[in-house]
This record gives sequence, structure tokens and C-alpha cells, in this order.
Amino acid sequence: MKWRRWNNIIHRDLGYLCAGLTIVYVVSGIAVNHVRDWNPNFRIESANARIDPVPAGDPRSPTVIREILSRLGESSEYRDSFRPDSGTLEIFTANGLISVDLTTGDVRLERVKSRTLLREANFLHLNHAKKLWTYMADLYAIALGLLAITGLFVLKGKKGITGRGAWLTGMGLLVPVVFLWVYL
Amino acid sequence: MIPSVNLGWGRTTFSARPRSSHRLLEGETVMSVNLRLSALCGLVAMAVGCSSPESSGVKYGEELTLAETTRISQILDDPESYVGQRLLVEGTVVNVCEMRGCWLELASDRDFEKLRIKVDDGVIVFPMSARGQKARVEGVFEKLTLTEEEALEQARHQAEEHGTEFDPSVVSGPATIYQLKGIGALIEDQE
Repeated sequence: MKWRRWNNIIHRDLGYLCAGLTIVYVVSGIAVNHVRDWNPNFRIESANARIDPVPAGDPRSPTVIREILSRLGESSEYRDSFRPDSGTLEIFTANGLISVDLTTGDVRLERVKSRTLLREANFLHLNHAKKLWTYMADLYAIALGLLAITGLFVLKGKKGITGRGAWLTGMGLLVPVVFLWVYL
Repeated sequence: MIPSVNLGWGRTTFSARPRSSHRLLEGETVMSVNLRLSALCGLVAMAVGCSSPESSGVKYGEELTLAETTRISQILDDPESYVGQRLLVEGTVVNVCEMRGCWLELASDRDFEKLRIKVDDGVIVFPMSARGQKARVEGVFEKLTLTEEEALEQARHQAEEHGTEFDPSVVSGPATIYQLKGIGALIEDQE
């Protein structure tokens, strides 16, 4: 069998194998590229409310906190509380943060919601799983390298690497070179 | 035509044919398929086992090596004397970097106080869902001296992160910041 046939078989089958993970990396790649502008893993929703003055006593006591949660209609159990200053009480629940102004009764509610699928994609892309996934990701990287190399030799003739392909490959190689030249 | 899928594991081909006419019923082939399935199950178990959180919490970064914790209030009483020391601190997570998860703040054992833990971007990423959870963090206590411009820039950055309006009047000159450069952390199980 000719080498080009093997080349094309490898290119085709690796392409099928890598398609799923490539989509995961593409989506996550764009998401984390813009990490300065947004949180790619969580969405934070804020709302304001007002409650009657907080009952007297230690604001961090379970009785007072449960009373506040009850007034806000918050049914989930709280994790812990914190007082960043003498006038504020922060209550942490499984849903997020409730910040209460103890003097005015103004409340800011923050709900943390996970970005479904995107968070999982980032988890894999950024290798937070580590351990066994590290080797899986290495294999994927090698497969991408093979895809790139075999891709160069799929076609022969004018549209192959000896013709149009050479120009396009050269242009592709120039992209990082130009950016490095500009930035460094 | 009966559709078939070759999984590429030797000669076994799974197809939609009735089982009675299929090679899978031959003892040797069934055994080899069982072995392969066992191997696959082992791999899956390894993957799941390796990535699942430990019973005591979720680990971030390096293993914790210190056994004794230092109280945050104790550190904040005399921060200068702890600069350069490797410390293990414990407290409730009261804030997490909203963008990159590159820092968190632990509540002190005393009201109105907290300690900032900074980690290298991307090396450790703390999730927003850690807020309100108990955490143990190990790292090196450090002192940062900022010029007025640097302090202004940091205040602007923090305002951006919190989605609040930047108020330059909060910076009155050069600033000194004490923080723990986090190396490893253990955050209690997150729902």
C-alpha cells in the first residue's frame, strides 16, 4: 500500500477520534481567553432586598441568621457567616452570598451558578483533573500533531504541499512569528 | 446489510445480528471480550478514583506538609515577624477571585479580619463555590510594598473584579500588603 494511502487513513481516523475533544478545547479555549472580561466557570446573579431591622443580639448567632434567612424566604441551610466590618453581616449558603447591612436592613444577594458544560470543558482543557487525564491530554496533543503533519500530505499535485499547500502552510507559520515580532 | 462497528480491539466485531449466530458465544472470544471489559472497567475506575475528591475535602496544588496551624489573628497581630515563614492557616473562605480564582480570603478567628491567599494564576484555581467553606491553606507569608501608583492600580483592579465603582480616594499613598503565597490547599467538601 502506498504511503499516501496510509497517511490519509491516519489523518481521517485521527480526525474522527479527535473531533469531540477538539470541540471541547475550542469552546473552552475561547472562554478562558477572555477571562479578564468574564468568569468562564460561574455566573453570578445579584439582587437587592430590604428587611426589617435585624433582631438584637450577636448577628452571627444561629437564631439571628435563621431569622434573617426566614425573612428573605431562603430555605437552604447556611454554611457559615462573617462580619467584614461592624455594620455588615455576610451569610454564606450553598446558593451564594447574602450580605446584610445591619443598620439599614439593605440586603445584597449573590447567587453563584455554575456554567453547565462550559465549566466541565474548562476543567478538562485546563487539566484541573490532573493525574490520568494528563496522559490522556498528552495523547490528544500528539494526535493533533499527527493530524497536522498528515494533513500536509493528504493531496498531491497543484493543491498539495508542493503547490498551493506550501503557500498556505507558510502563511500559517508566519502568524505566530509576526505576533512574536510585534510583541517581543 | 447488518450494520457493524469494529472497535479496533483485535478481530471482535460487534454487530446487530442475533446472538445465537454470533462468534461471541464461542468460549474463547467471550473470555477475551470479558478481559477487555474488565480492563476498561479498571481504567474507568482509575480515572474516577484519581479525580475524585478525598473524603476530607478537595485538594488544590501541593500536599499540605505542616501539621500545626497558626491562627490568623496571631499572624495579623504581628505580621512582620512571620514574613518569609511557611505557615498553615485555617478559616472560612469569605471571598474568591471572581475572574481567575487566583486568590481567596480566609476569615480570621477574630471578627472584622481576614487574610488574603494569593496563588499563581492557572496553577491553582479556586472555585467561586468555595465561599463559606472551611479551608486549610499552606504557603509562605509575604510582604508587598506598593508605590502609590501600584496601590491605585490594585484598587482599580479589585473594584473591577467586584463590579463596583473605583474610588481613588481609598488610596492615600504607598501601601504595604501582607498575604500568604499559597502553595497547597484543602477545602472541605463542596456541595
